[in-house]
Amino acid sequence: MNDSWPTEIKLSPDKRTLNVAFDNGDSFALPAELLRVMSPSAEVQGHSAGQRVTVPNKRKVGIRDVRMIGNYAVQIVFDDGHDTGFYRWQYLHDLGARQAEHWRVYEAELSAKGFSRG
Amino acid sequence: MAADLSRDAVLAALKTVAGPDGASNLVDLGLVSEVVLANRKVYFSISVAPERAQQLEPLRLAAEAAVKKLGGVDQVSAVLTAERAQGAAAPAKPAARQAPRSNPIVVPGVKYIIAVASGKGGVGKSTTAVNLALGFQALGHKVGLLDADIYGPSVPRLLGLSGKPQLTDAKQITPMRGYGLAVMSMGFLVDEGTPVIWRGPMVISALTQMLRDVAWGGLDVLVVDMPPGTGDVQITMAQQVPLAGAVIVSTPQDLALIDARKGLAMFQQVSVPVLGFVENMSYFLCPSCGIRSEIFGHGGARAEAEKLGVPFLGEVPLHMEIREKSDLGTPIMATAPDSPNAGIYRDIAQKCWSALAGGVTGAKAAPRIVIE
Repeated sequence: MNDSWPTEIKLSPDKRTLNVAFDNGDSFALPAELLRVMSPSAEVQGHSAGQRVTVPNKRKVGIRDVRMIGNYAVQIVFDDGHDTGFYRWQYLHDLGARQAEHWRVYEAELSAKGFSRG
Repeated sequence: MAADLSRDAVLAALKTVAGPDGASNLVDLGLVSEVVLANRKVYFSISVAPERAQQLEPLRLAAEAAVKKLGGVDQVSAVLTAERAQGAAAPAKPAARQAPRSNPIVVPGVKYIIAVASGKGGVGKSTTAVNLALGFQALGHKVGLLDADIYGPSVPRLLGLSGKPQLTDAKQITPMRGYGLAVMSMGFLVDEGTPVIWRGPMVISALTQMLRDVAWGGLDVLVVDMPPGTGDVQITMAQQVPLAGAVIVSTPQDLALIDARKGLAMFQQVSVPVLGFVENMSYFLCPSCGIRSEIFGHGGARAEAEKLGVPFLGEVPLHMEIREKSDLGTPIMATAPDSPNAGIYRDIAQKCWSALAGGVTGAKAAPRIVIE
């Protein structure tokens, strides 16, 4: 079992930021855009590293709903209709802890493919 | 809102649908069975020759449409069941994508939901689940038993139950009662000899109904008898229900233990605490000569539990009395509660309860989800 366990997941009033607090004291503000483009859904990740797609134009994406999945994840419903990503606790922690790195990789992919954040 | 729907109204609607022969209608051909009405939802099955199931999909849709037109209905599910068991029956095509989209099912008034699982089939999961449930009851708890094995429901037979569950005024299904347990099983909705030939989405929707639309009442613990494997039903349970724990049943045999390990790994991946391993068919004590034979080897599950760092809950022998009473629908825990074998089940129930109530399962509280 992973050790990162969230105590609170709070969606900001503007629906653009998910604030996640963990029981080890860590706390992250995760932008909806990052969560959307890094969705663990097979629609984004494919079924292997080679199938991963780069999702552009999500600068203004918002979050419509956050739902518990059993004991182990949340499903995030975005206002662009994407809702197939189940975010495990460890994944949320990783998105927060290595946020700068995830952004860097994403921006690099965007410019390599001639896309933008929109 | 339209008036409450009756079974007769549904049948009348289905009389307007032509049967597979194109001449007479579904009802007069005697093809419609198991009409169930619950909570503005209607379910029924249409018997067809298994090899024609695929081509009769339009018939199924027509039947659904006819009932939908009645009004007062939120959802209609028609399923094609095979007329007779056949080796290579063509599975009925399920309704289009209907992945669970809703919030986790909160089963009101149920304190703990635990799953009894195994990787391998035939290791005695259902027998263990029934006697474990009765063991909880013997400890003074209010207990329910949900048979989540849609394709091979065993619980009705193990508890000697038959007949159809009734509906409450609130359009919920009243669970059947067996030896004091509240019981729900697919076996109550389909005849014992009729195969359920469904793809995954139909199974998920049936399981969801059995969790959501059953009036369990106040329960201390709901024991879920899982089907073997790590497939649709297991995923649904892990995602839709906050499971308090899982009990894994295995024979001592290596072949069964390999799959038991997979079961364990699955529950760990979805953060469901494993209450422990039960070794079933642990040994055979010959009633005439008293010699103990370890037919599947012995101690495999205990050793495996130790290796994997999960509790070992107990070993149940391969015993004629347990087998006979199971097949007769008179479970040993209820009909011979003072026998040594019943004592084993009671002891397993006690260990599970202590772990659940003592909060030593390693379970953590779900995060608060706040939408400002």
